[in-house]
Amino acid sequence: MINEQFDKRYNDTLIQGGTQCCPGCGGPLFWRMALEVLGPETIVYGDGPCAMCALRNIKVPFFAIHFSFIADGATGISAAMKVKGREDITIVSSAGDGATGDISFGKVSAAAERNENIIQICIDNEAYMNTGIQKSGLTPFGAWTTTTPTGKESNKKDIPLIIAAHKVPYVATASIAYPRDLQAKLRKAKDIKGFKYIHVIIPCPTGWRFDPAKAVEVTRLGVDTWTWPLYEVEEGVLKMSRKPEQKPVTEYLKAQGRFRGLKDEQVEHIQAEVDERRKNLLAQEGKSLTL
Amino acid sequence: MSFTRMMEGNEAAAWGAKLARAEVVPAYPITPQTELISNIATLIAEGTMKAEYIKVEGEHTAMAAAVGASVAGARVFTASSSQGIAFMEEALWQPPGRRLPIVMCMVNRTMGPLGGLRPDHTDSLLQRDLGWIQLYCENSQEALDTILMGYKVGENKDIYLPVAVCYDGYFVSATATPTTVPDQALVDEWLPPYKHEWYSLIPGEFKMPQPQSFVKMRMGLEEAHQRAKKVIEAVDKDYRKRFGRGYDGLLEEYNCEGAEAVIMTMGSMTGTARDVVDIMRAKGKKIGLIKMRGFRPFPTEELQRIAPKYKALAVVDRNNSFGSAGGGIVSMEVARALYSVPDRPLLLNFHVGLSGTDVTMRQIEYMCKEALKAAETGKVKKVVDWVEAHDLGEVM
Repeated sequence: MINEQFDKRYNDTLIQGGTQCCPGCGGPLFWRMALEVLGPETIVYGDGPCAMCALRNIKVPFFAIHFSFIADGATGISAAMKVKGREDITIVSSAGDGATGDISFGKVSAAAERNENIIQICIDNEAYMNTGIQKSGLTPFGAWTTTTPTGKESNKKDIPLIIAAHKVPYVATASIAYPRDLQAKLRKAKDIKGFKYIHVIIPCPTGWRFDPAKAVEVTRLGVDTWTWPLYEVEEGVLKMSRKPEQKPVTEYLKAQGRFRGLKDEQVEHIQAEVDERRKNLLAQEGKSLTL
Repeated sequence: MSFTRMMEGNEAAAWGAKLARAEVVPAYPITPQTELISNIATLIAEGTMKAEYIKVEGEHTAMAAAVGASVAGARVFTASSSQGIAFMEEALWQPPGRRLPIVMCMVNRTMGPLGGLRPDHTDSLLQRDLGWIQLYCENSQEALDTILMGYKVGENKDIYLPVAVCYDGYFVSATATPTTVPDQALVDEWLPPYKHEWYSLIPGEFKMPQPQSFVKMRMGLEEAHQRAKKVIEAVDKDYRKRFGRGYDGLLEEYNCEGAEAVIMTMGSMTGTARDVVDIMRAKGKKIGLIKMRGFRPFPTEELQRIAPKYKALAVVDRNNSFGSAGGGIVSMEVARALYSVPDRPLLLNFHVGLSGTDVTMRQIEYMCKEALKAAETGKVKKVVDWVEAHDLGEVM
């Protein structure tokens, strides 16, 4: 009986076990949560996180080229489904942070501008993890990577707000530490026609340097310190999804080895930046971001 | 209804895409391809053509969207030139490797720096090793017809290869020549809707080929090219039967009967060469013309079969391969193909028409005369000759 239940649960889950991902990786976790909402009538195109470790195990139609090809193939698939009268199928375009923010940034921006009928997902683990922890445009200030051995000197690119400036129907940030919020956002995106952008932060114990058992805990601290605030921008209007009582950023930074080398003034800089962002977000809440 | 009127190459090619019922057209404008895609946009806007035209932000995305749409089961058409083709190259590897029968016009234009906008074949020839079929056209009519043949060849389930329909910028793309647009119903009868047996992205019917190994995938690609030679010829013959026009497959011998020397051309200069050969023939010169139409797959066997009839073969290259010392890309391929033929002709190689300078009748006459001299004396004076370095006098 228990075996049968287990088998049924396993068969119904749209991601197969036995991925090649590292212990504690947020990738398979994200795809399990996402596909629960998106359902089997979904085509996934693209990459991320960390190349295709998790994506190789999903059970819906999946097609990828390289990580320099984000949103473009999904655009073609979406056009093909339109001519075939299958616009009922959800087209998801996926990418990691390096693909979305760096090498394919122009492609994501162009697909947003064309308002392609796809859900574009950025699965952000804040560095090129597949090649072994190299800095991307979305690596946060001060973080150690193999190409920023003394810590990153510039700030993290704010992709969700850049995409919001494209005036697309829907933009949201999410975290695997808050599954219900993440799933609600995907559910909403599924029913909106046009370009939907969801930027989800996932933990990478290997690259962030912490115990894999604490993956969810550390990621939750990101939200609770306002380092990674959760919000959505629907038809241009900003709405905060969570307004947690703010914890000091040091709790988040100290949990990860990649921030070990930070000097006090750098930590202060990060805290000041987080405070500023929190203030701005709260001030803009309920208002249109359209300039 | 079929109709005939003066038409530029870019307009004829747009009609080709329309007649083929291309369903998805991801494209980015670049001179001299631009009018081709703006013509398609017009055909769609006025309701003559039904297709999704994706106005992408660059050529790299154009080809990637083409790949996505083709995998998803749509017939895809796109086009580019020169720098655009080079920018697209990373994506250009995908259709042959994945065996997707996308048809693309490569409207030839020279590569920078300092190349300008006018045509030579370096841009498309640089993509020769990727696995695309490459067919070079002489005029508007041939461009239109070759697009239709391209889909018929590429979508053959024994082939499944992408096809590049190459034609010269300006000399073909923007030069109006009488062009017949065949009847849509006749084309529909001849070219059935696209269905790739290997792929489906529809949930519940998902299909994606998984090659046993990289080497097997690559070997399969080469074997498909070898099979394509016969299919290209057969489709050409069938097209002639159905539509009244054909192009002799990969190679055309023009006015070659009894010739001792032949000149080999590719693209728009072939039209000029036909006239020069006719004039010289009328004067009793034993010269003929070979038109290189199919560069990939390369017509090795056919060339080996016909070449021994001639004493000298002059290859005209509208391209460069710097540092090769062996001349242009076409001539190197011809030399490779004929190396094992014992009674092969003497080879001469001419560079001409680079970056779209005119290939004049006088220049072609010069090359023909040099080839005849070699045939007569049994000696080649200059293996690689840059024709534009000579002052050849007035217009012929």
